Amino acid sequence: MLIVVLAFASFREILGKERQMSLLEGATIKDLLEELAAARPAFKEAAFDDTGALRDYVLLMVNRKRIDPTQYLSRPLQDGDELAIFPPLAGG
Amino acid sequence: MIEITEEEISLEELIKRAKSRDAGAMVTFLGTVRDDGIERLEVEAFREAALAQLEAIQDEATNRFGLKAVEVVHRTGTLAVGESIVAIVCSAGHRQEAFSGCRYIIEELKKRAPLWKKELGERGEHWVGQDEPAGK
Repeated sequence: MLIVVLAFASFREILGKERQMSLLEGATIKDLLEELAAARPAFKEAAFDDTGALRDYVLLMVNRKRIDPTQYLSRPLQDGDELAIFPPLAGG
Repeated sequence: MIEITEEEISLEELIKRAKSRDAGAMVTFLGTVRDDGIERLEVEAFREAALAQLEAIQDEATNRFGLKAVEVVHRTGTLAVGESIVAIVCSAGHRQEAFSGCRYIIEELKKRAPLWKKELGERGEHWVGQDEPAGK
């Protein structure tokens, strides 16, 4: 299945603004983030702490709805889903 | 009307759009680039998601405070010190609703709209909010 990954602010600087990732059926949000981390050491360092846990300031949206990373990392993605990765909001 | 734009913000234009015969009060908020020893600010948006979020906030404020009109414009791109980052105009029958609506919109925008600011200056570059609490 294909997932569109969008990155903003500091994560855009590491990953680029948009990419498509091909994942096995049933892959979860965590699987996708770990695949990105394996491909990009700078992303691994920015997004994960030494124990392998996602850092607090990594925020996620699936199909433009915020999800709580502490609860939904194991959620399976669907073909065509859009995952956005970004740091804390700072508009205004 | 909700806008995210690289163009300079004209507060006068927003005020003109928000005027109506049944409004007796208009409150405006203008957020500007503060000189914290920076040279410039870069503002980035997740445009589609930010517009959707701002429209939801506009609807909430309109219903909650009975606003007659709401205008919100947020800049993106590179801004110099003193330039406007965000402008909000709320009109209502009376001042209390207009003040409350305007405050609600800026506070919710800061919490919910996917927008980011990077400060650039002699001391280097820094994404606001990543290393310290955002939205002071």
